[in-house]
Amino acid sequence: MKIGDCVVAWSKDEELRKMGASGGLVTSLLVGALETELVDEVIALRKISEFEGVPIRTSDTDEAIRSAGSLHAAPINLTKFAVRFFEEHPDGAIALPVKPCDCRGIIEQAKRRKIDMDRIYLIGLNCGGTMDPITTMEMLEKMYEMDPKKIVEEEILKGKLIFKTEEEEKAISIDEVEEAGYGRRESCRYCGINIPMMADLACGNWGAGEDETFVEILTEKGLRLMKSAVDHGLIETAPAPEKGIKIREKTNSVMENVAKTWYEKVFVPIEDRSERMKYYMDAMEDCIDCEACKYVCPVCSCDESKCIGFYDPMDSHKISIYHLIRLLHLADSCIGCGQCTDVCPAEIPLTILHKRVADRIQAKYDYIPGIDMKTPPFFEVE
Amino acid sequence: MRLRGDRSMEEEWIPKITLFCCNWCSYAGSDDAGVGRKQQPPTTRTIRVMCSGRTDPAFVLAALLEGSDAVLFTGCHIGDCHYISGNYKAKKKFEMLKEVVDELGLEDERLQLQWISASEGSEFAAYINKVTEEIKAIGPSPLRQEWMK
Repeated sequence: MKIGDCVVAWSKDEELRKMGASGGLVTSLLVGALETELVDEVIALRKISEFEGVPIRTSDTDEAIRSAGSLHAAPINLTKFAVRFFEEHPDGAIALPVKPCDCRGIIEQAKRRKIDMDRIYLIGLNCGGTMDPITTMEMLEKMYEMDPKKIVEEEILKGKLIFKTEEEEKAISIDEVEEAGYGRRESCRYCGINIPMMADLACGNWGAGEDETFVEILTEKGLRLMKSAVDHGLIETAPAPEKGIKIREKTNSVMENVAKTWYEKVFVPIEDRSERMKYYMDAMEDCIDCEACKYVCPVCSCDESKCIGFYDPMDSHKISIYHLIRLLHLADSCIGCGQCTDVCPAEIPLTILHKRVADRIQAKYDYIPGIDMKTPPFFEVE
Repeated sequence: MRLRGDRSMEEEWIPKITLFCCNWCSYAGSDDAGVGRKQQPPTTRTIRVMCSGRTDPAFVLAALLEGSDAVLFTGCHIGDCHYISGNYKAKKKFEMLKEVVDELGLEDERLQLQWISASEGSEFAAYINKVTEEIKAIGPSPLRQEWMK
């Protein structure tokens, strides 16, 4: 094995192989990292039900094994959990599975010195999108005519969304469910980064067979992680077949094109100035000042938040200064992960508002946040 | 002099302009304009900052929301900063802020950056005259509440 290699891998433990999605590789890697003392803690998602997962930080291998399996309907961003870990243990090391948006958030935090990139092991996961739990349950009842409580497995395969219960299996194409307003979260629909090439390992089932995972080793850290698991006898690897590599590339380009179409559909430019102002005013009017969007935001990194410091609930401004400062602060770093829209109790489409502003500035400075360690334009003074 | 009962002055709307002045150049420049008796309209509210780089974008947003019709950033010419690189930072902040304010739908004239040195009193007065005319032409800021006088 060396950096740049593509392999297929699976867990040696038969039970884990069946329990985890695609051969239980990620769980084995986490266990391996803990057992070889490569890391102090791992972050994993403890499964409560098919629609609910709780992120946990643990140094217990049994706890890590219990977290096996993938959850598509638990849209959680793990960045802030990693930040909390480094706040508590500045010299510690941590490993966690990351979707592309988790990974981009972590890189943006690393640029702001909240995370040490040398001591964080990122097991990247291919991501075709996550789903909102409540809308998914509604969709299951209305479109699939299945009981959400009985679902045991869900999967996205060849443009189809598949749900399985003990007795039956139903597949409906993603386009069809999204046409009806269900399916993936809006921010996932237009997200074009599906393979986390900025993580240490890029894992996924695209191009892999039954019960195995396709892995691309991207960095020195990733290699160390794989080797520790192999040496410890936890996983088995084989070189990836040519066909698998091609399938992975093709799947990725298909997803990218779908994302582009969605992007154009969602972000219709508003040309007229006064209409633009009205659009922002109307959207932010409903804000109830709960500040949830700030707490959950993976790229927000002030120690003493300026957005709260300048804001007073007694203000009678036409647009909340809290949101204006946040629009400005995230202008270079917004990754469009959709967390703010998810948590907003007033259902303000915050991700779209932030992305409208951020995309302009990111295009102007030719900066894509979270894909490399390039200095953000805000910090770049001639 | 206004005569009693003459309401012509009251009908004319006078813009309010927030002006951030660097202590080392444009503040002295405005002083120079006063000493040299250069005529300028009483539309500006001057805020002295120690360096144009100290002008936090949040100040500008607060000023716009609190009823300013325009906000002006003024500082030393590039290369002349008293603190070596403060005006480069001001320029960066201004550029980012400009994009946000433009996306929000405010006109270009409402946020401006101008380098004015300590000896440029006449330039200072001319600049304030020019901006006041521009703002008078485009009217009150859409962010200003109707009850704000």
